[in-house]
Amino acid sequence: MGLFRNDWAVRRRRDGDFDLVLSPQLAQVVRDLLGQLDELLEQAPDDPSLRRLHPPAYLDDAEHDAAYQLLAGDELRTKRREAIAAVTDMLERERLTDDDLWQWLRSLNALRLVVGTRLDISEDDDDRDDIDPEDPDAPLWQAYHFTTALQYQLLTALGG
Amino acid sequence: MTAVASTLSPAEVTTVEGDPDLDTDQPWIVLVWNDPINTMEYVTLVFQKLFGYSKQKATKLMLDVHEKGRAVVSSGPRSQAEIDVFRLHEHGLWATMQHDE
Repeated sequence: MGLFRNDWAVRRRRDGDFDLVLSPQLAQVVRDLLGQLDELLEQAPDDPSLRRLHPPAYLDDAEHDAAYQLLAGDELRTKRREAIAAVTDMLERERLTDDDLWQWLRSLNALRLVVGTRLDISEDDDDRDDIDPEDPDAPLWQAYHFTTALQYQLLTALGG
Repeated sequence: MTAVASTLSPAEVTTVEGDPDLDTDQPWIVLVWNDPINTMEYVTLVFQKLFGYSKQKATKLMLDVHEKGRAVVSSGPRSQAEIDVFRLHEHGLWATMQHDE
């Protein structure tokens, strides 16, 4: 599904906050995707598609990296789930703060990383828009393109 | 005397180096690595947000990551480097830390 102009609107208000309006259909898509990611984080934290959410911190020091992964692993997972819960709540609101928008950005990015890992995305896949609807990966590609487009709009509104 | 002399021969003497685990004068650097998923716009804004860099500096760093494969985004004591790495991971970037050599 493409991201149509009348499905969403985001703009910065004069007071510095943001207005984000999503069509009910779009909000449901977001809710579904975030729900699936949350379930994965909760029930299958070792799923290989979550790998990019926990990159190594030390490339040449396995011992220190193991210590970091132990400390940071749970913390990262908790923060991600909190962001997902916060964004899901925000779907009911229209007015968002800067911090709210960053919760959105991080959540959409986490989705992109997980979906992208499942699709085994490489640098060359950037402009792929010729997805065969019969391709079993088609829903994943749709999710990837959708989250990319929505994230881009939010980045633009934030001044990126 | 010979035994003492050989024990204290220059080859046996090691220089005392700073313990790298102490945050003394051994800086650590934080690197961000290129990946095929994070977008250029997102990475640039994350650098601005986390490090307070200007858009210009953040863009330059992002382009270094993109074109050279990785870039040093910050440096400092070990404890700070670990915090920076964590915050970058929280935003989905691939960051690592190492001694600045």
